[in-house]
Amino acid sequence: MSDAARSIQEARSTEGVPGRTFLDPKVLARIDDLELVARFVVEGFISGLHRSPHLGFSTDFAEHRQYMPGDDTRHMDWRVYARTDRLYIKNYEADTNANFLVILDVSGSMGYGTSGLTKLEYAKYLGACLAYFSHRQRDRVGLVTVDSDIVDFVPPSAKHLNQVLHGLDRAKAKGRGSLAMPLLKVSESQHRRSILLLLSDLYEPADKIRDALGPLRDAGHDLVVMHLLDPAELNFTFDAAGTFEDLESGERIPVVPGRLRTRYTELIRDHLVAVEKLLGEGRIDYLMVDTSKPIDEVLFQYLLRRERMQSVR
Amino acid sequence: MSFLAPLFAIGLVALAVPILVHLVHKERKETTPFPSLMFLLRTPYQHSRRQRIRDWLLFLTRAMVFLLLVAAFSRPVFDRPPDAQAAALGGGRELVILLDRSFSMRVGDRWTRAQAAARQAVDGLGPADRATLVLFADQARAVREGTETRAVLRAAVDSSTPGDAGTRYAPALVLARRTLAESQLPKREVIVISDFQRSGWDVSDDAKLPSGTTVTPVDVASADVADRAVRAVELRRAVVDGRERITVTARVSNVGPAARGIEARLEVAGRVVATSRLDVGADAGGVVTFESLAIPESPQQAAIRITPDAVPSDDVLHFVLERAPSIPVLVVEGLTPGSDREVYLQRALEIGDRPSFDVSVRRASQLSAADLSGKRLVIMNNAPWPTGDLARRLQEFVNNGGGLLVVAGDAVTATSWPGRASGLLPAAPGDMKDRLADKGAILGAIDRSHPALSVFGGAQSGDLSAARFYRYRTFQADSGILARFDDGAPAVLEQQTGNGRTIVIASSFDGLWNDLPRQPVFLPFVHQLAQYASGYRAGRSVYEVGDPVDLQGVGPAVADSTGARGLAYVAVSPKGNRLRIGGTQGEAALVPAEAGIYEVRPAGEPGARPRLVAVNIPGRELDLSRFDPTRLTHSVSTVGDSIDSGSSPAEVDLAQRERKQSVWWYLLLLAATLLVAESMLAHRLSRHRITPVN
Repeated sequence: MSDAARSIQEARSTEGVPGRTFLDPKVLARIDDLELVARFVVEGFISGLHRSPHLGFSTDFAEHRQYMPGDDTRHMDWRVYARTDRLYIKNYEADTNANFLVILDVSGSMGYGTSGLTKLEYAKYLGACLAYFSHRQRDRVGLVTVDSDIVDFVPPSAKHLNQVLHGLDRAKAKGRGSLAMPLLKVSESQHRRSILLLLSDLYEPADKIRDALGPLRDAGHDLVVMHLLDPAELNFTFDAAGTFEDLESGERIPVVPGRLRTRYTELIRDHLVAVEKLLGEGRIDYLMVDTSKPIDEVLFQYLLRRERMQSVR
Repeated sequence: MSFLAPLFAIGLVALAVPILVHLVHKERKETTPFPSLMFLLRTPYQHSRRQRIRDWLLFLTRAMVFLLLVAAFSRPVFDRPPDAQAAALGGGRELVILLDRSFSMRVGDRWTRAQAAARQAVDGLGPADRATLVLFADQARAVREGTETRAVLRAAVDSSTPGDAGTRYAPALVLARRTLAESQLPKREVIVISDFQRSGWDVSDDAKLPSGTTVTPVDVASADVADRAVRAVELRRAVVDGRERITVTARVSNVGPAARGIEARLEVAGRVVATSRLDVGADAGGVVTFESLAIPESPQQAAIRITPDAVPSDDVLHFVLERAPSIPVLVVEGLTPGSDREVYLQRALEIGDRPSFDVSVRRASQLSAADLSGKRLVIMNNAPWPTGDLARRLQEFVNNGGGLLVVAGDAVTATSWPGRASGLLPAAPGDMKDRLADKGAILGAIDRSHPALSVFGGAQSGDLSAARFYRYRTFQADSGILARFDDGAPAVLEQQTGNGRTIVIASSFDGLWNDLPRQPVFLPFVHQLAQYASGYRAGRSVYEVGDPVDLQGVGPAVADSTGARGLAYVAVSPKGNRLRIGGTQGEAALVPAEAGIYEVRPAGEPGARPRLVAVNIPGRELDLSRFDPTRLTHSVSTVGDSIDSGSSPAEVDLAQRERKQSVWWYLLLLAATLLVAESMLAHRLSRHRITPVN
């Protein structure tokens, strides 16, 4: 067993809910090989939870419909014709032809973390896992890294998993972040309906986030937004007074955490509620991710939610 | 409650540390990275000064640790009623206060501080305590021994003053040891109040105090000392145009941080005869030389004075200006006139200069009683013993302190010296022994410890055994033999008669019976025997306080009613005090206690010309360098005894109580426990601190 595999085993055995094991992000952080991480994480889960938003002509039969002039006669069900003397066409559920595009926010704020992993590293693992997972379902996977513009782009393809993983691996957190411009460019470049996974800390007003996601939603893409936040951002558990520096703008202000904590937590809770509410109204799948939680636990929750949504859909 | 080291209370300032840490919340210099200030900027700004104390429990724990540490280092002592104190200390104590009154205690305010410390020690006496005050310089004297009354001790302290003597700790410690050893009280203490001069302490001194004695040094020396002094004088004699002249050279020191221009004056009989000036650097010395001057006929007191400073006693150095000493000698030659046999002895005596010999030569046949007048030594150079009244006068001469040196050649026989010369000879002359056959005898045994021959005891100091004795006179004697021939026969004999003495040499100085006159050792041999036989003792131009001054020869012997004989003198000290010395009361030696000129006369002769004795401050006392008092306390204390590091006497009692109670130990223990609790608490709190990954 390699060192990486041993670390994975160790990660699985560290902590978890009875009957389940979850991967400790701190342990995953010791593994350099992003593909290996993704494979081990994904193979611990159920496979094929999500369905393609399109019906196609794959091997899995979906339904019959009456032949209409112009239909491809190759999909005619001749056995039904022989039994009933009526022409029926076989419809199949297409599960291998979806585009899965990871949109990763690489602005400077994503480089923050206090629980062993930065938000960017956590997002890389999540993106890699879900890309690997989609690739196993023969989806086309792609990657877009963005700050206030598009930084890197790997177009979706069934053969681009490695490029996606490499793109994730070399992503560095820097610069100011703004979603409106890069997401508009993505919507303009993706004509095929896709599953878009946005990994970001969403440090923008909720209405601006909604507006930034609007073009993608209007283009018919299936949008999934994962909002990554560090526990320190959520609870503001700082103690010593000092000067706080914005990782994106470099701006500095003197802060006495003890006096700010209550107000800050109120503001961030309000922000989370507003984002969830606005995105929910736009039928955008939203998941707030605490980066101190195990990655596979987050994946588990995400896939369960996707399953429920598919059922509703 | 009292504190043994209250100055440690300054450490309470350290309480500001936890207060600042917990109250002020001093902002860190390094910045804290944060993803976005979007929400922080919407909150009102809070200045650090508006903060209140946080983590109260941790703050109180830390403050308590500081308080306990300060209290522990301050060495708290719980006050108790006097009776309880006495009970706690286990009864009374024997206290010996050693108060240094040497010359160096005059410097600055040392004596004032010393008196204050002594009074403080006296005031600290409990009802069951006994105290002894010992004043010491080069000698120690118990002023009040075993006194329980504070007033008596205080009066003794108040009335004492520092003297001119040097410092020696050993006599004082020996006196303290005796006092403590005789004490029945359970506690023993010695307080040494001194400036702790290095020159006063010799580590080889045996001055161990009884076991269990607490020794407390009280150092009254100030750090900075500035003093100029005349340290020494050298007199170089020379004969110019037949007159003896002397050149005076003095060594001057300047102790202190600043260089000084020093004016030195040479005074003779109170009159300034020469002046010189020199510049002396800081902590350095210099030499000043005056022009030579003629030596007066009679001894005169002289002094070298420099510009006075805060300690004027060492700004003058006294000495006596007098001619070089001389021994009046009468050489009585044998009966054969015109012989050159006596040339060796006479030439040898003419050469001496320190002292010189004032030689008169007489033939035995021409000798008269008048020839003995003023002489201190008669040398019978192979001459017969005179007869009649002259023999009696010679006998009186010796009995009164004169010296008789007998060179026993062929003319000294039992016949020519009948009856051992009325008992002056240690033994009757025997036969002449001829050792020509065996190439002569040599001196086989020499008593080099004897004062007359001690100069031959050192290496390369003269080989007496080089001389060959072909003939010598035999004497039958069992005692008083200074040297023997190689066959055991006495070669040099001595006998004390009255105040004088007789020396007999059992061979001649004519170059016939032996070759001793042709040996290099002949000159010092004759000089030493002549000086010893005459009772000459080298005098000094300068003495130091405490040096015994030999007064022998100053005046005639006196007899008291009991028949006991002794020499009595009256000395007038520099301060005008009259001292009676010697007689039947003790040795005729003056031990000066004051610096200056002493005038010494034979008792009962107030009109006689006095002998002047110049006395100065001991040179080693002028060296004001100090030593660590703990060296002394460790040296005199038995292993395991308590040693105080130098607190004031009043604090001694406090220190004992503190040592008994040892509250500081419990405070430190409590502080250590709180420190452990503080560590655990701080660790627990710090686990909640946030540390960014970057």
